[in-house]
Amino acid sequence: MNLAAVYARASVRVKASFRERSWLLGETLFPFLAMSAFVLVYRGLRAPREYEGFVVLGGAMIAYWNNVIWGMASQFFWEREQGQLQLYLITPVSRMSILLGMALGGMAMTTTRAAAILTGGILLFHVSLPLERALPAFGLFLLTLGAAYSLGMILSSLFLLWGREVWHTATILQEPVYLLSGFYFPVSAMGVGIAIVGSILPVTLGLDGIRQVFYGPAAHGLLPVRWIPPIQIALTAIFLFVSAVSLRYMENLGKQEGRLTVRGD
Amino acid sequence: MIVGPVKRLAQVLRTSAWLGWQVEANWAEPWIFLMYAIAKPLATTLILFFMVRVVSQGHANAETFRFIFIGNTFFLYVTEVLIGISWTVFRDREDYETLKYIYVAPVRLLPYLLGRAFTRVATATLGVLVALLFGRLVLGLTIGVPGTNWLLVVGAVLLGLLGVLWLGIILAGISLVVARHSMNLNEGLSGLFFLLCGAIFPLDVLPRWALHLSLLLPFTYWLELLRRMLTGRGFAASLGRYGDGDLWWILALATVGLCALALVWFRGCERIARERGLIDWKTNY
Repeated sequence: MNLAAVYARASVRVKASFRERSWLLGETLFPFLAMSAFVLVYRGLRAPREYEGFVVLGGAMIAYWNNVIWGMASQFFWEREQGQLQLYLITPVSRMSILLGMALGGMAMTTTRAAAILTGGILLFHVSLPLERALPAFGLFLLTLGAAYSLGMILSSLFLLWGREVWHTATILQEPVYLLSGFYFPVSAMGVGIAIVGSILPVTLGLDGIRQVFYGPAAHGLLPVRWIPPIQIALTAIFLFVSAVSLRYMENLGKQEGRLTVRGD
Repeated sequence: MIVGPVKRLAQVLRTSAWLGWQVEANWAEPWIFLMYAIAKPLATTLILFFMVRVVSQGHANAETFRFIFIGNTFFLYVTEVLIGISWTVFRDREDYETLKYIYVAPVRLLPYLLGRAFTRVATATLGVLVALLFGRLVLGLTIGVPGTNWLLVVGAVLLGLLGVLWLGIILAGISLVVARHSMNLNEGLSGLFFLLCGAIFPLDVLPRWALHLSLLLPFTYWLELLRRMLTGRGFAASLGRYGDGDLWWILALATVGLCALALVWFRGCERIARERGLIDWKTNY
């Protein structure tokens, strides 16, 4: 039954993302435009071409991070606003299976956007991504997604009880995270101390590792690339455990305070 | 004769501005709201700072960064205000379901929306000021040259802001007749302007066809004018043939044009929305 719940929640997202054409356009073309501006910064500075590759990879990863924020963390808030949250709570399925379905559906949905950014970057800006190194990079990418969406599950339970501040909190988690995770430049440029702090977010190390796989020493990596997969696996396990505990706690707290059916706006 | 309507207009603007402030800011402690207002400009400034620094191998090219910094900082008005006005339509129509009540009150929708934009203008102004202070005090950038006329700088900012407001009204008109998810379009337009007006890179790196589009945007001239006033020299070689006076004229004419277009466009969209019964439309399915 839990597997069916995972499939059902994921399939809603996948189907919805292809049903509305304006969303598809908004999710692919427009983020590409914003990312292009940052590619042109490096071009204007006459930076080595691999820096443009850093931006394109960062732009693709931003798509997933935004999905973690808006499609995972804030999702239970939206569900509550639309009166759907209570329906989840009366079904005999694990809440984690709903979250896992949201995560898998979100990954599939966001892959369209990330693929558009990567393809656009390669075709329009002639960014070089050595394809012979694509397989290890893809492996690291999958581990990073696992850890990032597990973090999204924790945030989802935290956001569950919030009201209107959800909107603003999610906004605060965008540009500052783009900075801290080095989406547009090697994170090591900020100094080791800040970069280590930024590494609490799985996208930071994931992106750092993927860049190292593609561009070697030119990526100015923070940690040796062989350290990153075990760290991402450990982060995934920790985040999943914390999210299960946190979700149970927040749900009980919400029931006691009667806030699970209250509209926050 | 004129005092009555003007007084009434001022009253509507003031009241809707107050309402906008309550909607945007009454959910949080002032310091949290302050953090929200300044997080984006500061983070974007630092992203660009590190991008320039990493390329110049630890020796940031201060002059280049100064141009990028000014463009990025003032572009905040475009993202905040442009998206903010059209978002007000969606929020009032579908979340709060209050747009229809504007029509049973002695208030016109257009001045109401302009008043509601005030909060976004205020938030953006705060963000711009904090970013400028951060640039000056933390990053050590020189903002302004001995010949900078600060009153003219304020005038240029206000003129550009007027253009942004009227463009926002055009988008709000579109928002009245389209479904909520078309918000993507408004955010996308903001991204398109960010790319085309050379907010964070010299226009000259754009492909030729994109450069032609860029020269059609008032924001391109606005940012160039502000850069010239604050650094004493131009950034985009493509605009080198224009003197400062030319940039003022282009900006002023574009603002008047946008104002005229916005008034006609918004009235048309409003009429269509009322004819089709879209004022209390809910599309949040």
